[in-house]
Amino acid sequence: MSNESVIKVDGVTRVFPVPGGEFTALKGINAEVPAGTFAILKGRSGSGKTTLMNIIGTLDDPTDGAVYLNGTPIKNMSEHERENLRRRDCGFVFQSVSLIPSLNAFQNVEFSMRMAGIKPSKERDKRVEECLRLVGLGNRMNHMPSEMSGGEQQRVAIARSFAHSPKLILADEPTAELDSQMAAKVTEIFKEMTRKEGITILMTTHDVGLMGAADMIIELENGVRING
Amino acid sequence: MLGIMLEKMWHKKWMNVCLLLGCILLTATVVSFPIYRAAAYNRMINDEFENYISTEGRWPTMISATVVSRKEKGGSTLKKMDEFPGGFYDRLKVKETYTFCELSLSSTPISSETGRGDAKALSIKLAAIGDMTDHIKLLAGELYSEAGKTEDGAIEVLISQSCMVDKGLLINEYFTFDDIKAPDGKALRVYVKGVYDSADELNYFWQIKPEKLNDTILCREDVFRSTFMGDNVGRYTITSYIVPMFDYESVKATDVDRIYADTKYYMEESPFKSVLKDAPYVKIFDDYNKKLTRISATLIILQVPVLAMLAAFLFMISGQMYEMEKSEISVIKSRGSSSGQIIRLYFYQGLVLTLTGAVIGMPLGALFAKVLGSTRNFLEFDFSQSLNVSYTKESLIYALAAIAVCLLSITIPSFKHSKVTIVNLKQSNALKKKSWWEKLFIDILLLGVSLYGFYSFNKNMKDLSGAVMSGESLDPLLYISSSLFIVGAGMFFLRIQPHLVSLVYKIGKKWWGPASHVSFMENIKNGRKQQLIMLFLIMTISLGMYHATVARTILDNAVENTEYLDATDVIIKEVWTEITDRYGSYTGDYIVPDYSKYNTLTAAKSYTRVFNEAKGRVGSNSDAISTQILGINTKEFGAQTMVSKEFLEKHYYEYLNDLAVVEDGVLLSRNFNTKMGYNVGDSIIFSNSKKKPATCKIVGFFDYFPSYAPMTNGLNPDGTAFSKENYLIVANYDYLAKKWGTYPYEVWIKLNDDATAMDVYNWVNEQKLSVKKYENRELDLKATMGDPLLQGTNGVLTMGFVVTIVLCAVGYLIYWVMSIRERELIFGVLRATGFHKGEIFHMLLNEQVFSGVLSIFAGIGIGKLTSKLFVPILQQAYSSENQALPMRLITVASDMYRLYGVIAAVMIAVLLVLVFILFRMNVTKALKLGEE
Repeated sequence: MSNESVIKVDGVTRVFPVPGGEFTALKGINAEVPAGTFAILKGRSGSGKTTLMNIIGTLDDPTDGAVYLNGTPIKNMSEHERENLRRRDCGFVFQSVSLIPSLNAFQNVEFSMRMAGIKPSKERDKRVEECLRLVGLGNRMNHMPSEMSGGEQQRVAIARSFAHSPKLILADEPTAELDSQMAAKVTEIFKEMTRKEGITILMTTHDVGLMGAADMIIELENGVRING
Repeated sequence: MLGIMLEKMWHKKWMNVCLLLGCILLTATVVSFPIYRAAAYNRMINDEFENYISTEGRWPTMISATVVSRKEKGGSTLKKMDEFPGGFYDRLKVKETYTFCELSLSSTPISSETGRGDAKALSIKLAAIGDMTDHIKLLAGELYSEAGKTEDGAIEVLISQSCMVDKGLLINEYFTFDDIKAPDGKALRVYVKGVYDSADELNYFWQIKPEKLNDTILCREDVFRSTFMGDNVGRYTITSYIVPMFDYESVKATDVDRIYADTKYYMEESPFKSVLKDAPYVKIFDDYNKKLTRISATLIILQVPVLAMLAAFLFMISGQMYEMEKSEISVIKSRGSSSGQIIRLYFYQGLVLTLTGAVIGMPLGALFAKVLGSTRNFLEFDFSQSLNVSYTKESLIYALAAIAVCLLSITIPSFKHSKVTIVNLKQSNALKKKSWWEKLFIDILLLGVSLYGFYSFNKNMKDLSGAVMSGESLDPLLYISSSLFIVGAGMFFLRIQPHLVSLVYKIGKKWWGPASHVSFMENIKNGRKQQLIMLFLIMTISLGMYHATVARTILDNAVENTEYLDATDVIIKEVWTEITDRYGSYTGDYIVPDYSKYNTLTAAKSYTRVFNEAKGRVGSNSDAISTQILGINTKEFGAQTMVSKEFLEKHYYEYLNDLAVVEDGVLLSRNFNTKMGYNVGDSIIFSNSKKKPATCKIVGFFDYFPSYAPMTNGLNPDGTAFSKENYLIVANYDYLAKKWGTYPYEVWIKLNDDATAMDVYNWVNEQKLSVKKYENRELDLKATMGDPLLQGTNGVLTMGFVVTIVLCAVGYLIYWVMSIRERELIFGVLRATGFHKGEIFHMLLNEQVFSGVLSIFAGIGIGKLTSKLFVPILQQAYSSENQALPMRLITVASDMYRLYGVIAAVMIAVLLVLVFILFRMNVTKALKLGEE
């Protein structure tokens, strides 16, 4: 892994038009996340975490400032390039259940590899099994999402997010709907990912109990970064 | 309450627009059927009247009364007669067209005052016809003066041309009646003022045509009344002949029973019963009623599947409504509203929607009915002859029923949980589980029942046509078995469809991209929740195919049969006068009409002489059979007639060639061979109706020959059906002419392509031909195609298809919009993880292929199969007693293209809406939705 920052946020401001004026969600945010780091984006709800995540995830554009992923500015990327970037180099974990209901656990994980363009092979199947074992679901591979608990589903989603070995995983409040024990377990898995696979992880949370696991904390308040 | 309701409706405006659309369509469809039927029956009765006019040349809606008052003191009989027409019109509630009223004295000798010797033997009737002057034109002389009498008291009279010619009366001549005196005892004198004729040739006023009034002289009615009636009535014998004629065009189908009953009263119970006779419309009504029972039952049976589909649609929508409103109802409830309040809220909302729907749907239904009436064939319209539609009592009852059903289905969700929805919300229900009907093998059961129906009807085909001929309507079971077959086959397809999809998935497993993969999985796992909408689609299309084939087959077979039986465009048989010897007995010779004049018939492309002997005989007295004999010029005959090769063993012309090369050869109908044992090469002796024989050599047997019907089917007086063998001998014209001598022939004419039947008609009139037989294929075809049963069938079937396809499109769209909405979060996730928009579209397109396109193909296949199985049976119901050719299943490519066109248009519209929804979908918004 290079020492170069996987994420570089440079003076990002995001202004939304609202009835009768404007609302500034983010004000001149600067941040850099080096490769292989488990970073936590911290802040109360409404502090601008999701907005920043969306911008880093190329789903949204900053009103001002720039974002570099692996040193490449995303500003000039076409929609199609961004989509390719997302499916190859990124993994996503969402707050609520985001598995495809018609695919079982194995197929859901396999699907992210399919999307990344990894051809079907014995190795691919092995990798899927390995990822599911890593999140502790080695014995539930053939279960449908509707047959699993929320925590289990979220772990499948995590397995899915790193199965295709992305450079970066963006996890938006992945522990919000889990009990504290499960939340701790999920955070642990993330931490392990950075160690084992050298993946950079940016996770938002407002759960103070999870901060200890982070290599780096970016704290937002009312759209402004308040640490560092 | 009102405020909440309006707010609620505005909030869900698209759902409400859909509901309103449903209400409008339902009302319009339901209302259109009775309106259409009423209008079709009106047209039918009107056609019956006009048909009577054109064949009989008489006014159909009239009744005639005659009384003779023989010097009756007070003349009460005549007074009563004067009141008859008014009372008749009032009681029947009909509009007077004309009232023909002739008052006449008895025919008595008269003498010319000029003393012409030749006028001595004249016997003349003095009469008056009310309103006559409105219907005459003056050929010579003058009309009556104001007084109606000359200055010296002679009564002015008008005479017809025939009276002038036959009786030799002259204008300005005075006559004196020999035996009748004027009331004052003096001589009764008349003065011939002028000569009249009917104002125009087609004048139905004249119940006695002017040319038949050759012994009648007509004076003014008021003069007649004042002179011979009133106080003087007791001195004269007066005949009163009254014919009330009423407007047939304003007679509606719904009036028939009433007018019929009132007429029966007049003829059987009223004081006039002994003097009344001849009401032609009574017979017309009888015929009409006979046709009506058959047609109305058929039309009702045909529209049942459409109404059933409508009900199923509402059932789905209603369940859909419930699923959508479930959370809202619980919110309202949690805020403290009572169940009653909620029900009322929905009831009011339903009321607004259904009443709006009815207000728009009623006129739309009338429009639908008009379109129905313009149907020429399945999905083929001709607006030139549109139907006069109006609301009937029945249509209002239907409308109320539609409103009630709509209202119920909108209100029901508020208190009842309906389990069947377009999207079964609980996905876990759909996963892997088989549907209840699959477990119960309902599809196999339905197929079994319908095939049993097919089998038993197929076996009893002959009974079926017999039953139809005896006036019975279409057996509902027959129609139901074909519908059950469609439902069963459609369900069976749904049973195998998931296996089909997973088979395709497995075959191409290595090549599927992420989008295809996910859509395959989606269909294999969740496909069953689409079953209802797929079944709907399959049924719509297969019913459409089936109905198109039914309509086309019935129409084309009827047309083909008429063309075959008529054999050529026009057939004219002139009157041949047989010459008598001086003792008055027939010589067997005729005055031969001039054949060369047909040269002047410019409308003819070709014409030929044909002996057409209906009463030929074969064999000796005891075992003789009667046969039809045709004598033809093979070359000329072949140039204007044709029989499709499908019905013959070899080409039609080869038969004619066989005949042409043997001067004394004959072609015989097949039954001479099978029933009588004749063989090729045998001799056969036959004779015409004048018992002139001919001996011929048999050169061949045919199954069909132009105009030849192998069997005659009909009804015995006791109502049972019979069928009788017909025999036909075809010989060379020249040979028969040699054997029979001068014998009446027909002229068969083929018209130029741009010539019409009217051209021939005009020519016949110009040539002043006395025609014994006149057959015109154009008119026969028009009658065949205008048959109300055919037209009604086409109308109802087309309407049914259009309505179901619209419902299907709406249902399909609602299903897909719901399905996309439901999966918005997943789409958002997919987009966020890098799915391209195109891939999402690809995915949805795949799903469309699995559900929609597969259903369409299944529908087409099932439709074809159903047609093959059931159309041959169903068309028995439409066979007529003069069906000669075997009926064939006919599909025309253009019919199918029209059907496919409609389906394609609907599918493209649905796809466009989906694309629109898709492109408006916002990834971040969709994701946010999940975070709430």
